[in-house]
Amino acid sequence: MSTRVHPELRNQLMQFGIGDWNACYHCGTCTAQCPLSEEGFLFPRKKIRLMQMGLKDELEASVEPWLCYYCGDCSTSCPRDANPGELMMSLRRYLTSIYDWTGLSKKFYTSELWELFFILSFAALVVISFLLVLPSMGFHFTRELTAEGGVQVNAFAPIHVVETFDWAMALVVASLLISNILRMYYKIIWKYGNMKVSLWVHIREFWLLIFNFAVQPKFNKCDDKRYWLSHWFLMSGYTIMFIVIVVYLPWFQTERILPIWNPQRLLGYYATFGLLFGLFVAIFGRLQKKEIKFLFSHISDWLFLAMLTLTAITGILIHIFRINGMPLGTYISYIAHMAVLVPMILIEVPFSKWSHLAYRPFAVYFQQLKKYAVPR
Amino acid sequence: MRKTEITGMFFYNHSGLHPDPIDYSELLRFSFTFQNVTEAFTYSDFIWNEKNILKKIEENNFERIIIAGLMPGTVKALFSKAMAVAGKDPEKVMLASFNDYCSGSIFKTEGLKKVLASMISGIPYEFTGIPDELPVNKATLVIGGGISGIQAALEIAYSNNPVYLVEKSGTIGGKMATFDKTFPTLDCAACILTPKMVEVNQHPDIRLMSYSEIKEVAGKPGDFIVKVLKKARKVNVQTCIGCGTCAEKCPAQAPSEFDAGTCMRKAIYIPFPQAVPNKYLVDSENCIYLKNGKCKACVKACPVPGCIDLDEKDSEVTINVGNIILATGYKPFNALRMAQFGYGQFPNVLNSLEFERLLNASGPTGGNIHMRSQDKKGNWIFNTTTPRPEKLAIIHCVGSRDKNFNKYCSRVCCMYSLKFAHLIMEKLPEAEIFEYFIDMRSFGKGYEEFYERIRQEEVSIIRGKTAKVEQRGEKLFLRGEDILRGEILENTVDMVILSVGLEAGEDALKLAKMLNITTNADGWFDEAHYNLDPTGTCRGGIYLAGTCQGPKDIPDCVAQGSAAAARVIQSILKGRLRDDVSSVSLDRVEYKIMELSTVPI
Repeated sequence: MSTRVHPELRNQLMQFGIGDWNACYHCGTCTAQCPLSEEGFLFPRKKIRLMQMGLKDELEASVEPWLCYYCGDCSTSCPRDANPGELMMSLRRYLTSIYDWTGLSKKFYTSELWELFFILSFAALVVISFLLVLPSMGFHFTRELTAEGGVQVNAFAPIHVVETFDWAMALVVASLLISNILRMYYKIIWKYGNMKVSLWVHIREFWLLIFNFAVQPKFNKCDDKRYWLSHWFLMSGYTIMFIVIVVYLPWFQTERILPIWNPQRLLGYYATFGLLFGLFVAIFGRLQKKEIKFLFSHISDWLFLAMLTLTAITGILIHIFRINGMPLGTYISYIAHMAVLVPMILIEVPFSKWSHLAYRPFAVYFQQLKKYAVPR
Repeated sequence: MRKTEITGMFFYNHSGLHPDPIDYSELLRFSFTFQNVTEAFTYSDFIWNEKNILKKIEENNFERIIIAGLMPGTVKALFSKAMAVAGKDPEKVMLASFNDYCSGSIFKTEGLKKVLASMISGIPYEFTGIPDELPVNKATLVIGGGISGIQAALEIAYSNNPVYLVEKSGTIGGKMATFDKTFPTLDCAACILTPKMVEVNQHPDIRLMSYSEIKEVAGKPGDFIVKVLKKARKVNVQTCIGCGTCAEKCPAQAPSEFDAGTCMRKAIYIPFPQAVPNKYLVDSENCIYLKNGKCKACVKACPVPGCIDLDEKDSEVTINVGNIILATGYKPFNALRMAQFGYGQFPNVLNSLEFERLLNASGPTGGNIHMRSQDKKGNWIFNTTTPRPEKLAIIHCVGSRDKNFNKYCSRVCCMYSLKFAHLIMEKLPEAEIFEYFIDMRSFGKGYEEFYERIRQEEVSIIRGKTAKVEQRGEKLFLRGEDILRGEILENTVDMVILSVGLEAGEDALKLAKMLNITTNADGWFDEAHYNLDPTGTCRGGIYLAGTCQGPKDIPDCVAQGSAAAARVIQSILKGRLRDDVSSVSLDRVEYKIMELSTVPI
């Protein structure tokens, strides 16, 4: 296999993050420091080397960037201020854009205007469809908007319509993600790995994928355990919300206000707490800029955090208005909620920061496959 | 005439110094007082690339360009290229470096104006900024009794001129005296140094003032008046016979400075057996009599009546000298600052000076390598009762080449680490040795060959620095990336040696202020010209020798000691020496420019 050198690679990567990576003189401190770096999967130094040499194909075939959880210890101890941790972060953004076959991801990462344009247009579509399309389909909600009608969420946003839309959206996102993951698999295991992994290994190690998605044990191997906890709260809160909304919407979106100890409400409260806690840690850290992992926030990080926060806040507002019997507030916040949620899922999950929910566990799975690989 | 060429001034105010000490606005104003300067720019005015510079040249039709600032040479190529593209003479790009000729060393606008005026007029500053010559006192002061100071003092004394050698500690010899072997020749350091030390003591023209410090420097070049503080030694140097009875009886102990704290000495002590002067001194901080007013065991034991006077006070001596040579040396990087290596936390993590004493036949263990242990009073010391280490790791670049600590390379650490590996192999043939390095800097004559030689011996030389040292049971655990093999190397060793770098001495800044010379950001004394005058300073009659100017190895220190001595002897032979660079006024420079401009070229 011939190796092609891409001298422009560094400049390309600079669009995905900031770092004086050429300053690295390869002392190996970062790799030695990193508790996640292991035999056969050495990083960050080795990745900096590939970047400096312009070995694009090798970089794209590497699984290591997804194994890094950015504790920032490598950047702190780096004697050259070369910022290896930020390189790993930038590589994750870069790889997301490489896995994505539509090319939209690259556009979103390198141009804020593109991302903002898409977000706003999706939001506008949601608002328009609520205001125009639903009534035209026969759902007249003008009557319900008055206080006498009481809060009738299911009349305002009929469950079967919302559910159909949810499933359609999930289908689009899932098909994009799956196709991207297949590309990731092709690049990591098939194309440049030059190796063969038996089907049995694929099946046997599949549990790792589920386990890593649910627990993120690798994150917990970092020396600093605090962020594992806040991230886990965020992740679990979000996952619960997502499942409840997409799969169990009829159970979740009820007209009747259930007692507070009902699992429906308890689950909702837990999910809200998890989201808010995780968000608070992330936003506060990024604003305070005390730790190195929060020093170099990319615009995509902020957009993601902003949208997730808005989703959470509008969700809470729906709840407050609903249990207090305030129909107008409920409906407006419902529209706002959807107007944030839809672009967030459609843009962030397949194309941007949120795709890591799939890439990270799959990377651990692929890493395991690589360990059992035999030369082709 | 060159004067009339249309000149563009470019101020390279990108010095990296914060805050920038140079007043660029005043310099800009000053440069416009010259008719031929039509336009002036600073680094922040526009992006300095070839295209923009070319545009400026073509817009203003510059025939000549002057780049002024700190290290302007770094951007010269851009301008030469742009000049060539513009169809102008690329040789007409001049540099007005604020680093050279000491013009910028004090960063006084006045001094910088002199350089600018000369450069704009097309006459090198070397010809216009010549200071007056002053008569010179034949006596010389050498500050610092390490190998550089010893060499300089001896060279001057050989020419039968008087030298005062002032040394802060109780003995001369400096750091070199503590070493076991020198690289790459593996000479016994003490064997080659002690004869020189003795010669210093015995030479009739050298007046050795040990245990003394410089307190004040006044006067002008050629006639300095120096106040020397003679710290109370409390032992009469003239009458002490060095028998050691006092130390035998002394009940107080303290870690030995000479042995880098690897063993204990008494409160009345001699730094090491070959010390020069070979006389005892009293450590006032630990002496029981000086603390409690009761003891005087040494006075009772001393066979020479009146030799020990525990109530002696510091005194001051004033000396008149013509020249001063600074040879104050370095201090080792404090490994406590790199907590990840566990120095000061784990007993068997050593810094290089400690290990140097451990290897030394006159050290605490007689040259045998043993683990560190605690004595009855709880002091961590070395003795021969503990086991010998079986696995040793040497970590290079501790505190050097690291933006978090010192950015520069300390030059000697790679070589002394290789020397360590060799000496360990010699003393413990069964031991396993691991050297963790980043780049192997074997820069000198015979050094690369020495590295090759060590590589042939059974030493594991691993490219890749470790990140941290952890204690696991009795052993020390290191995790590193073996870059050349591409694997993680997890290693358990008995002893870790940190190759600490060199840092400017703690008194450097104080001395610089006293002598009115400057240091760079790292604390090393500034030389007059990096390439052409590494021993001179901006002041007349003050010279540098050895590691106080920057990290260097023993041969370089000796060479610089001799070079500084040559400059001193030159002035003594001539009977005159140049005044400070700053003594030349701007008016004089301008007058000189006028004078020289009329000379046909």
